[in-house]
Amino acid sequence: MKHYSIQLLILLFCSGFVFAQDQVSPGAKHEGKTLLLGGTAHLGNGDVIQDAAIGYENGVITFVGSSLKAKSADYDEVIDTKGKHIYPGFITANSTLGLQEIGAVRATRDQYEIGTFRPNVRAIIAFNTESDITPTVRSNGVLIGQITPRGGVISGSSGIAQFDAWNWEDAAMEMTDGVHMNWPRMHHLHTQQGKPVIELRKTYEQQLHEIQRFFRESKAYSKGNGAIKDLKYEAMRGLFDGELCLYVHANDYKQLVEAVQLKRDFEIPRMCIVGGYDSWMAADLLRDNKVSVMLYRTHELPDYDEDDVNLPYKLPKLLSDEGVLFCLQNSGDMEQMGTRNLPFYAGTAVAYGLTYEQAVMSITLNAAKILGIDDRVGSLEVGKQATIVVSDGDALDMRTNNIVFACITGRVIDLDNRHKLLYRKYRSKYQ
Amino acid sequence: MEPRDVLIATFVVMRTWIFVLTLCLLCFAKINFAQSTFPVNGTHEKSVVSTLFINGQFHTSPTELIENGQMLVSKGQIIAIGSEVKAPAQCEIVDLKGAHVYPSFIDLESDYGMPKVEGRQWSREPHIERSEKGAFGWNEAIRPEFHAAHVFKHQNEKAESLKKMGFGAVLSHHHDGISRGTSALICLGSNENRNLLVSRAASHFSFSKGSSKQDYPSSLMGAIALLRQTFYDLEWYLYGKNATERNLSLEALADGLNLPLIFETREKLDLLRADRIGDEFSMQFAFVGNGDEYQRINEIKATEGMVIVPINFPAPYDVRDPYLARMISLQELKHWELAPSNLARLEAAGVPFCITSKDCSSKDFFSNLRLAVKNGLSEAAAIDALTLQPAKYLKVDDLLGSLDVGKEANFNVMSASLFDDDSELLEVWTQGEVAIFVDRLLLDVRGEYNLNIDGKIYPLSVNGKVGQVSGEISRIQEDTVKIKLNIVQEGQQLSMNAKGDELGLPGTLFFGGIVHAESRIWDGTLQYPDGQWKTWIAVKQQDLENDKKEVPESNEEAVEMGEVIYPFVAYGSPKRPEAKTILIKNATLWTNEDEGIIEDAQLLIHQGKIAALGKRVDLAAVFGKSIPEIEVIDAKGKHVTPGIIDEHSHIAITRGVNEGTQASSAEVSIQHSVDSEDINIYRQLSGGVTCSQLLHGSANPIGGQSAIIKLKWGASPDEMVLWDAAPFIKFALGENVKQSNWGDAQTERFPQTRMGVEQVFYDEFIRAREYELAWKNYNNELKLLSRRQLKKEGLPPAPRKDLELDVLLQILNGERFITCHSYRQDEINMLMHVADSLGFTLNTFTHILEGYKVADKMREHGAGGSTFSDWWAYKFEVKDAIPYNGAILWEQGVVTAFNSDDAEMARRLNQEAAKAVKYGGVPEEEAFKFVTLNPAKLLHLDHRMGSLKVGKDADVVIWSDHPLSIYAKAEKTFIEGVCYWDAEEDIAKQRYIQSEKARIIQKMLNSPGDNGSKRKPSKRVHQHNHCDTILEEY
Repeated sequence: MKHYSIQLLILLFCSGFVFAQDQVSPGAKHEGKTLLLGGTAHLGNGDVIQDAAIGYENGVITFVGSSLKAKSADYDEVIDTKGKHIYPGFITANSTLGLQEIGAVRATRDQYEIGTFRPNVRAIIAFNTESDITPTVRSNGVLIGQITPRGGVISGSSGIAQFDAWNWEDAAMEMTDGVHMNWPRMHHLHTQQGKPVIELRKTYEQQLHEIQRFFRESKAYSKGNGAIKDLKYEAMRGLFDGELCLYVHANDYKQLVEAVQLKRDFEIPRMCIVGGYDSWMAADLLRDNKVSVMLYRTHELPDYDEDDVNLPYKLPKLLSDEGVLFCLQNSGDMEQMGTRNLPFYAGTAVAYGLTYEQAVMSITLNAAKILGIDDRVGSLEVGKQATIVVSDGDALDMRTNNIVFACITGRVIDLDNRHKLLYRKYRSKYQ
Repeated sequence: MEPRDVLIATFVVMRTWIFVLTLCLLCFAKINFAQSTFPVNGTHEKSVVSTLFINGQFHTSPTELIENGQMLVSKGQIIAIGSEVKAPAQCEIVDLKGAHVYPSFIDLESDYGMPKVEGRQWSREPHIERSEKGAFGWNEAIRPEFHAAHVFKHQNEKAESLKKMGFGAVLSHHHDGISRGTSALICLGSNENRNLLVSRAASHFSFSKGSSKQDYPSSLMGAIALLRQTFYDLEWYLYGKNATERNLSLEALADGLNLPLIFETREKLDLLRADRIGDEFSMQFAFVGNGDEYQRINEIKATEGMVIVPINFPAPYDVRDPYLARMISLQELKHWELAPSNLARLEAAGVPFCITSKDCSSKDFFSNLRLAVKNGLSEAAAIDALTLQPAKYLKVDDLLGSLDVGKEANFNVMSASLFDDDSELLEVWTQGEVAIFVDRLLLDVRGEYNLNIDGKIYPLSVNGKVGQVSGEISRIQEDTVKIKLNIVQEGQQLSMNAKGDELGLPGTLFFGGIVHAESRIWDGTLQYPDGQWKTWIAVKQQDLENDKKEVPESNEEAVEMGEVIYPFVAYGSPKRPEAKTILIKNATLWTNEDEGIIEDAQLLIHQGKIAALGKRVDLAAVFGKSIPEIEVIDAKGKHVTPGIIDEHSHIAITRGVNEGTQASSAEVSIQHSVDSEDINIYRQLSGGVTCSQLLHGSANPIGGQSAIIKLKWGASPDEMVLWDAAPFIKFALGENVKQSNWGDAQTERFPQTRMGVEQVFYDEFIRAREYELAWKNYNNELKLLSRRQLKKEGLPPAPRKDLELDVLLQILNGERFITCHSYRQDEINMLMHVADSLGFTLNTFTHILEGYKVADKMREHGAGGSTFSDWWAYKFEVKDAIPYNGAILWEQGVVTAFNSDDAEMARRLNQEAAKAVKYGGVPEEEAFKFVTLNPAKLLHLDHRMGSLKVGKDADVVIWSDHPLSIYAKAEKTFIEGVCYWDAEEDIAKQRYIQSEKARIIQKMLNSPGDNGSKRKPSKRVHQHNHCDTILEEY
């Protein structure tokens, strides 16, 4: 049995890489039995265990409980996590990580395909595991992401990746988990006497008809055997039997109401609203129709001058009070690099009313539930993957967030990244 | 009508080579023999018959009324007016029968008779130079050479629509460009030679570049700078004796500046901006307003300018759908309610104003005018603003504006007093020509008649409006049947029809006939369907009973009306918060001074300053015996810090953060385009921000001057700007300035590479030194000249004042500081070399994302760094940006700050500071200085802000928690002792907004008109500015 302190682990993993390379290699397969001993475990399911122990074997969690009840001797290695905070790996929903490297460089942008209805394009096969951004996100505790296409009315299909892989193939936890749709805007932006104004769009109804037609045709197609394949309709098939989730990107109340109507009309088993700025106003409707929400970016300005200046901060609490299943997400300006701030969105939700464990849930188990991967990840529970992060302090507060250990299915992640490398390089310049 | 008067044009010699038409006067020669240059086709009309108007209510001036008076008009002029006037024999008499007569209105803001302004064509390629040829100025938006009188052509339709609103004369100009040339004062008749009263009546300006195809200016501040530079150029051109160019634009401008100066604006704050320019050049502009002047009335009064105000009050929205109604902002709703009171408020405040028909349909003009009066505008002021005030402003009150002997016979005839709701405009007389809208001579045929058709009598009642009557024929037998009679009345002729069946008469009846005996008797014939002709006669039994419904003294008078809030957007307040004396107790004070963090301490705020602080404050030591009223705040468990200072912000800027059309735009200043009404000011107060540097964008190597403001929500732009702060200018490097990410068409403006960027700096700074030398030489020469020489030879040739080079010279001489947008180490190093070689110091590198690579060089040079905590990967040049940047800069002894560049992040700068702890382990107190004391140092404001120290500005935040924590919320934010953000009061403000919106929406729902045809809701959104925001239209 080996006892490690976290500091030693960090040292082990960093030492070989100083100046050596930009990229860090995926961790080796976890074999044997490991115990994280001590610390506060936030299980992700709403529960918290003080002075906890988390044991896992060959990448699967085998023990969750009080450190008093854990038998260290049974483990091949014991990692001391006393005084630290243990969380399930954070999950970034509705993410374009790995699809875009540098915003201003067109050649590095892969999230926008052309066409109006293109459910068949799959984001997961364009997920670049060599992205320099992903390691900077992991080192703040975000280990899993829903990789999502953008644009059009039906943007394409998302897949789910874990963030420690050689290629999209071994990154993929789900090749496709759902189809993404941008609900047409009811309003359009133009300038009036030099001032930007949003007005009702005249073409909205027309677009709605086109959408309904596409769904009618897709549903009709899904009843056949697909002898002659239509790639678009084929990609929609899973929506009608519950295999895939329909992610509807929409913010306005009226859009939400109409999206729920679409769910009813076409008997779509799984639907999730992405954005949902007005979702708190439609909470009853969403809850009663089992529609979940990936919430509007928490660190965002209110949409209306008149709104509570802190409304985006309060949305998680508002939805939680109404019993709507929701998770946080991060789409918006500079979303790829900003993913590393995802834990802090949860922190803000705590400042504005959510309980701490609810906030943890909103970036772990709730996200996993919505994505349909809660059988494997999202919480620290026996039988689930050992996908875990350990922070020196409270990981939801930037003041204390300091991820010192992370593993995906037990594979220990190198927390180094391009930023730390440049940091070391230039500090050495001044020594 | 023939032109009978002599047009005298006076030509004045301004220079030996400039002949300019300066003045046109109409002289009313009192001669019987009318002369004209125009040959006549036919016999000559002599216009010897005068017109005498009798029985009129003559409102001769805004306050004077001649009841039952008379007015004699001849040749388009008023010859006499009074209770009874002596009339010549050759005189036509017009009986006004008690109608009201007013001087015709004068509109100072019109484009009547002007050609259409071409829209600017959008183009992908840059347009740097002038596209039209000619000996004019360099910028197409400056077109003072345009004279409205030269292109003016009578436009019948437009004239009619203006007359329908009672206007008899307009001041018309071509609405194109920033300097728009001169306007002409024109009467609305059809004879241009007679109607043109003053050919060059006023000079006109605006901030809009109009049809100019040139890129410059692309922003409001650019337009301001261009206009200022043009005025300076004029001085140089006229008196500098140094010009090697001939410039017709400047020559025309010189002449135009002797005229009244009118500035068209787009919103209330534009008036203040235009007035600032006026003050700089000792000019007083009158302003074309927008009906929102009441929202900043005190500041507008202080301009001392006259305002030409439209009365196109906003239409109500269709608010039946609450989810759509939510989109209408509070200010739109409140403006809908308050706009009709604008004129009353201007009158009450003593702001001089005229009324224009601008943007108002002729259908609404009179009702809106009456609405303004119902909202408190006095009738006299309303008339004055339409008649005498504009006439006086143009100094043509000897011709227009009142009904007086010798003036043009421009008058309106109305059926009743102008302000009666039922009063109709009957006729508009313009220089003797009449436009008739309602035929005053039409007989009133309304009443009860007996209609005799073929011997049978039917009662007939005639109702409706005079000229538009209809009838009802009754058949009285066992039951009364009424059928409709359609009546068309043309003079005394009548034609009518009715369905005869109901009366027991065959088919449809067609009547023809004539009205006799003052409408007592009608007769004529009618034809039956079988072709038989029959006679009919109708004899009046009774005149129409006075059907004037007694309008009950309505409760409308006491209109429920919300208050004006400052600023006029959501979260504005009716009252400005005041500075108080405040003692904060039991707090954890983050002093940013040697005392460090003091637990369980007290802080005293008095007269806007920090008066005392420490474990215990001794009030007696501060105040002596006279201790003022003190508000005590218990801050147990809370943290108190200096206000957050954002070194790099783009909020609160109107119409453009970039003037990126030239490589250097040092002449522009954000100080001129501060927007006090931006909601982001309030939102940032909620994050503890008290001071922001509003920066020009990064579209060009040498950007514009910045404005440092305190976030005094509710104050005017001028009150927010720290005028006495050290002046700054924005520079920029890298991808933005070389236009790398603006699309493939943007490859023409120099520079396109980092190599070129360096040369821009050298070129500009060397030019600035040469400019300095030219002025030095000139001033020396002046000193050496004897008084006699001066008298004999005049001043020597002077250099041209160049606003851009003035600013660059300030930099070279250490009087202005640079904050430079920068990413890569190579260019950072380059700029420090440029500065070193020219002998100045870069004050701040902002963004400075690769600062960590050259921190040693920065320290050596003496530059500070204001960076992002963790932004990267949005452009190629930020590939090496790391969140440890701040920590390394700080470790290397560089004054380091974190900034926002983003309206959202700016309200969480305390959290950004915490990232310096997370990435690189900066001690917490030092990290917090990244957003307080350090930016204060970078802005040269650390003597008055950035720390809690006695004597410094009381810019203080009370936090609910450790200020670096994500859980900390700003509970109160003070600026100079005034509480501008209070989390509790914010809840009250939210309730106010909610109830105020609901109240006005109720009112809107019940407002006149069919809800379905009201305006569809739309939402105003904010342009969220960043460094690289470029506007299509400013």
